[in-house]
Amino acid sequence: MNKGLVLAIETSCDETAAAVVAEGKHVLSSVVSSQVDIHARYGGVVPEVASRAHVDLIIPVIAQTLIEAGIEHHDLDLIAATRGPGLIGSLLVGVSAAKSLALVWNKPFIGVNHLEGHLYSSFLEEPDLELPMVILLVSGGHTMLVSMDEHLTYKVLGQTLDDAAGEAYDKVARYLGLGYPGGPIIDKLAASGQAEIKFPRPMIAEGYNFSFSGLKTAVINYVRKNPDISDENVSASFQEAVVDVLVTKTIRAAKDQNAVGVCIGGGVAANSRLREAILEACPKEGLKPFIPSRSYCTDNAAMIGAAAWRRFKNEGASSLATGANPNLRIPE
Amino acid sequence: MLILGIESSTSQVGCAIGGHEGVLASAHSSRGKRHAESLTPQIEFVCKQARVELQEISIIAVDIGPGLYTGLRVGITSAISIAFGLNVPMIGVSSLDLVAYPIRHCQKLIVAAVDARRDEIFHANYRQVPGGIQRVSEPVVITPEDLSAELLASSDEVQLVGDGAIRYAGHFNDLKGVEPAEPGLAFPSASSLVQLAHAKALREDFIKPSELKPLYLRKPDALEIDKQKRRVDR
Repeated sequence: MNKGLVLAIETSCDETAAAVVAEGKHVLSSVVSSQVDIHARYGGVVPEVASRAHVDLIIPVIAQTLIEAGIEHHDLDLIAATRGPGLIGSLLVGVSAAKSLALVWNKPFIGVNHLEGHLYSSFLEEPDLELPMVILLVSGGHTMLVSMDEHLTYKVLGQTLDDAAGEAYDKVARYLGLGYPGGPIIDKLAASGQAEIKFPRPMIAEGYNFSFSGLKTAVINYVRKNPDISDENVSASFQEAVVDVLVTKTIRAAKDQNAVGVCIGGGVAANSRLREAILEACPKEGLKPFIPSRSYCTDNAAMIGAAAWRRFKNEGASSLATGANPNLRIPE
Repeated sequence: MLILGIESSTSQVGCAIGGHEGVLASAHSSRGKRHAESLTPQIEFVCKQARVELQEISIIAVDIGPGLYTGLRVGITSAISIAFGLNVPMIGVSSLDLVAYPIRHCQKLIVAAVDARRDEIFHANYRQVPGGIQRVSEPVVITPEDLSAELLASSDEVQLVGDGAIRYAGHFNDLKGVEPAEPGLAFPSASSLVQLAHAKALREDFIKPSELKPLYLRKPDALEIDKQKRRVDR
């Protein structure tokens, strides 16, 4: 008999997701319905399109996740939803569904910070990770270095001053005419290319903040001047520059913070070169790396369930008057 | 039979419970657009006032629009979630039906006009029939100029109703044979929703939560692509 069952819902951007997680660590089911094909023809996430798709998908996804978990609603102990940050119209679908189900099934509700979800994705597979650790959270919307000294206590060491890393991937891919989303496409092309072009490593030696806008511009200007360069080589060179900056700063932050280990999270954490580079760099510095499965890096509801249970044990349920906050930060 | 009606397609959000005995309790608020914050506590409140357990509800009715998209989605998502959670059927009613219904005793042509923002109106026409109203035109999105031109060209005496008629009052004030309904009737009400849903429930005019679709009347592309392009060009 499983205890501490959380039904978690995540609809902050373009994935409609639900999961059942026991005690914040054992995933009984995790369903993600991606809208990526719907948005691909627009070359990016269109908020109104995303919100409409969430309304259509939310109940089928919740129903599916309960079936896959093999549980009935009366087995649940908590219902959670991402309340921010993200697209307001998308967030409201998940929050409204979760609060309504909590009301109908007479269960406590908790609103979860999406970023906290990403920080907790590592604990789904490795519940006993040692603290303090430094987490690189890197996606299409965020690029930040966070130190976690104890549970639910964070310090943001640095973040991007302009484009998020994933955003730079999308924009470079769009310029090269490679399609959307840019991350997986560039990652794949880079695997068969040579990182022969020395693109700039913005701010690599200074502080913990990031800047990827200039790198994106450098790539575009280079391709303008050298139109015959192969997509593979541009991709490999661009990716090498991004990964170099991310890994160098993460390792430096972890050493400065006397962290035991390093975790990564967010959609760009699914990037194969970044995963490889973190695994290479950490042991050299005496740091323990932890790389979550790809399905827990990209947006998912299991991580929301993990964070929800921690928060709930610590401070109890949220009010049913909870709304969505598209600009939520950590720490709040 | 106990019906929970949820209505959130305009700047107002509300809910009501009723059945064979009529409306047992209702609530609404129209302070800004915080539909998601207001709705769940409102449902809890209305249940208490009606002295009904939510688990006793046998039908969920919802305003399917047209209206303001974000509010509409909060109401529809809440309604389908409650129907799924209770495993009960649903009834969808258009916001235009809901604003026309309270003036059903009017002999004139009833012109429902819900504010669609961006200088447009969601609109449909209604006529009185025994026991209620009947929609006599397809719901459309139209500019106030075009709607006023249609009203001018019509031979009917017109009763205009809805928040679109108030927001764009300048286009309709001086039209001959066009009378605006009182502002108190401008918004769709959850009580009307429960009453209309009751009639449909007697005919077993139900749909499943998975079949319920919001009535947007506009494609999402038109709204977003320009914005998206600008963002990319930046």
